[in-house]
Amino acid sequence: MTMLRVRDMTVRFGGIVALDGVSLDLNRGEILGMIGPNGAGKTTLFNCISGVIRPDHGSILFETNDLTYAPPHRRAQLGIARTFQNLQLWGSMTVQENLMVPMDALGRRNTFSDALYLPFSAYAERASSERARAILHVLDLGRYARTLAGDLPAGIQRRVEIARALAMRPKLLLLDEPAAGLDAQETAHLAELLHAVRERFHVSMLLVDHDMSLVMRVCDFVYVLDFGKLLARGRPAAIRNDPKVVAAYLGEESKKLTGDVMTVAAARKEEPPLLEVDRLAAGYGGLEVIRDVTLSVRPGEVVACIGANGAGKTTTLRAISGMIHPRAGHVVFAGRDVTGSPAERITKLGLVHIPEGRGLFPTISVEDTLRLVSNSAGHEVDIAPAFQLFPRLRERRRQLVGTLSGGEQQMVALARAILSEPRLVMIDEMSQGLAPTVVRQLFEIVRVFREQGIAVLLVEQFVESALDVADRAYVFEHGTIALSGPAVELRSDRTLVTGSYLGTAADASTIAAANGNGHHIDPALMEVMSVRVPAKVKRALEQRAENEGRPAGAVVVELLGKVDDQ
Amino acid sequence: MTSRLMFRVLAALVAFTVLARIPVGFDVGFKFDSALAVIWAFGLLSLVLLTGYVGQISLCQATFAGVGAYATGLMVAGFHTDYLVAVGVGVAAAFTLGVIVGIPALRLRGITLAIVTLGIALVFDRYVFQDHAFEWFTGGTAGWRVDRATMFGLQMDSSKHLMSAYIVLLALFCVVALLMVNLHDSGAGRRLRAIRDSELSAATMGVNLTRYKLLAFGMSAAIAGLGGSFYPLVAGSVSPQPFWLFTSLQFAAIAVLMGVRYVPAAALGGVFMAVVPDVLTRFGHGTFMGHAYEISYDWFQIAVGVLLIVQLIALPDGVWGDLRARVRHARSAAGAIGGRKVKVA
Repeated sequence: MTMLRVRDMTVRFGGIVALDGVSLDLNRGEILGMIGPNGAGKTTLFNCISGVIRPDHGSILFETNDLTYAPPHRRAQLGIARTFQNLQLWGSMTVQENLMVPMDALGRRNTFSDALYLPFSAYAERASSERARAILHVLDLGRYARTLAGDLPAGIQRRVEIARALAMRPKLLLLDEPAAGLDAQETAHLAELLHAVRERFHVSMLLVDHDMSLVMRVCDFVYVLDFGKLLARGRPAAIRNDPKVVAAYLGEESKKLTGDVMTVAAARKEEPPLLEVDRLAAGYGGLEVIRDVTLSVRPGEVVACIGANGAGKTTTLRAISGMIHPRAGHVVFAGRDVTGSPAERITKLGLVHIPEGRGLFPTISVEDTLRLVSNSAGHEVDIAPAFQLFPRLRERRRQLVGTLSGGEQQMVALARAILSEPRLVMIDEMSQGLAPTVVRQLFEIVRVFREQGIAVLLVEQFVESALDVADRAYVFEHGTIALSGPAVELRSDRTLVTGSYLGTAADASTIAAANGNGHHIDPALMEVMSVRVPAKVKRALEQRAENEGRPAGAVVVELLGKVDDQ
Repeated sequence: MTSRLMFRVLAALVAFTVLARIPVGFDVGFKFDSALAVIWAFGLLSLVLLTGYVGQISLCQATFAGVGAYATGLMVAGFHTDYLVAVGVGVAAAFTLGVIVGIPALRLRGITLAIVTLGIALVFDRYVFQDHAFEWFTGGTAGWRVDRATMFGLQMDSSKHLMSAYIVLLALFCVVALLMVNLHDSGAGRRLRAIRDSELSAATMGVNLTRYKLLAFGMSAAIAGLGGSFYPLVAGSVSPQPFWLFTSLQFAAIAVLMGVRYVPAAALGGVFMAVVPDVLTRFGHGTFMGHAYEISYDWFQIAVGVLLIVQLIALPDGVWGDLRARVRHARSAAGAIGGRKVKVA
């Protein structure tokens, strides 16, 4: 029986078509997965269903109600709840209060009777708080009821978000990347939890996630989006083996073998590395995103960083270029230790970082954007070479950058980078949201960079194209480097890379048992530790456990014993 | 929960009894200061609701108080109604204006909202309170003179009955403050605080943003207007000067200084705003080591600015907020020793 019926959804942002006539059906009691590479339109479709974005065309029917233009709170009343990718709990309220808001927002409550604390309000208050406790108990969150939501670690906050959504007594639960920022073990727990939630609360779910191990384990049916269109749909097992899907994630398997790449790589091997990263760790707030990242880039070499979303690629680039402060490890660029140096100083040394979203100024013209390079270079820079490289930019030199297409904007970013005469350019998700022909052009430019002796560190989702142009590659998995080697080798063994994206059945069980560092920790203890112990202490504990060759749990129990004795 | 409510009622009663006795025995000037302190405390309380609970910025709270004051003046001096009826009209006028100001807040937030409300304060300051076109409302350049007022049929003239006016004001403040504290922990309060922490998730969790934002602006303006409505009674007349732009800015500054999330901080701020300048003008001059000196009102404003900078660095949650946190911390530390609770980190 169809519960949610989405028909012909179309959304445009400026000139970009984010969603192009996508239809979707969700049956009662079903867990539906929605996957696709970055920029495929998953989040856009998700936001249309939850009411954050208004579609340009199409309709949404939930049970018998037309929801296409209904405001978010109206959808909530009809029984659609959602969670957020970037954790939108009410941080200064306790976990229990977080659950009570949706409960009584949907009930009949009155502001004035609440302020007067009339008997009716007092009764409703008791009922809500009891229900909140019951839900927290089921999700094993009872002990956090009185903790401020903002003080909890990200993994627990994710569960609280699910609990809060359930507090609305939803019929349909929309989950936006619930596995983002979780390690393999926590993801495995989440999968169990979602199954349990379906049994206990009788909800249907629509799940958007990059983490294939979760989607494959949890979903009954999977929709695959690519470039705003429906690419495939079917049972998880069928989707995993669908060549179209594999191609969408990794790019087309290219036929030609590039022998010249090998020679370039071999010739450079003798030179000392231009960039050396040694056991780098970094993160945001309480979350440690990358740890033990060690990599190097030699002069004039193209190196690709690949791996699933949330594996820590972008964070690595940010930590290298000084946009965030590394927590451990070293970054050496051109023989100088630049660990934690301010970003502008690192740029002056010749390391240019083109961030995701390109870091351009939308209200400045193309020409002025390029001239700005003079400012940081300290002398007048001739911008003609940029126009030779990108003739299209010459035509649009007076246009504001914000009005250019995505591909042209990326060209401006690359042109700006090359004008500052860098020694190393780091490009984050160069091809994000761009059409294949444009992407091909941009990769040609990367070749030009190499010919001019500029080293390139690429973070890229089009694995095949990236491996095509790169000399070497690093494969990221759960915040650290799982695999590295010459690009040609990685490309020849396709299964090696596919595993880290689509999660093969074989490695699913092994990653479930081990955490990102590859050793086992008692799950119950992990949770206690993650609440009370700062990341630094936790890391020290794990280190000690590893040195002594026994579980971290045993170390903690021993330490607690000592505290008690004192 | 009920015991918590009992405690709050008791606290409000004790506060009322103590505060009601303080001005007794002082001169008229100090009695006037005391009443003014409560009026300003209402203004600050309105920001506790709007900024502290709902996270909205407003730089026109004095305008709401001013509208309350003028509407009351108009009713009492123009139509000779009972003072309480006039207060009702004043509060209603402020509430209406608050809801209207709340409309742009549905779309704007942060600095843009601050500028819009600043503009509203400026417009009312220059073109309503001081303009000939609105003389019917403001009573002309002299303003409304309220030398005769009755409440429940009792004489309440400011010249003779300043203390009774103060007590009525104080009682009202204690009641409103109690309601505000209750509101914080109630369902409606949670919805308002949810808007402060994340509008996006509040909307998707079923909170009607339009309704609650307008309600918050309306209620906040009504609270500021309630204070303002008593200004004619206390001062004997209404003039534009107390409700000008700068008072609005001062409300914002002192609310943050004292702790914008806490109801008692509003009372603290009200006393600070009314009493300190008066003490300065009274005792702030004389000779020190042979040199004549004078500390004028300007020094008060400079002091507020400096204090605000110090507070933002040293006491980020405001004077009251950090004081409270420190007391609680000390108490829980003492409890931990007694109960032998061991924290892992």
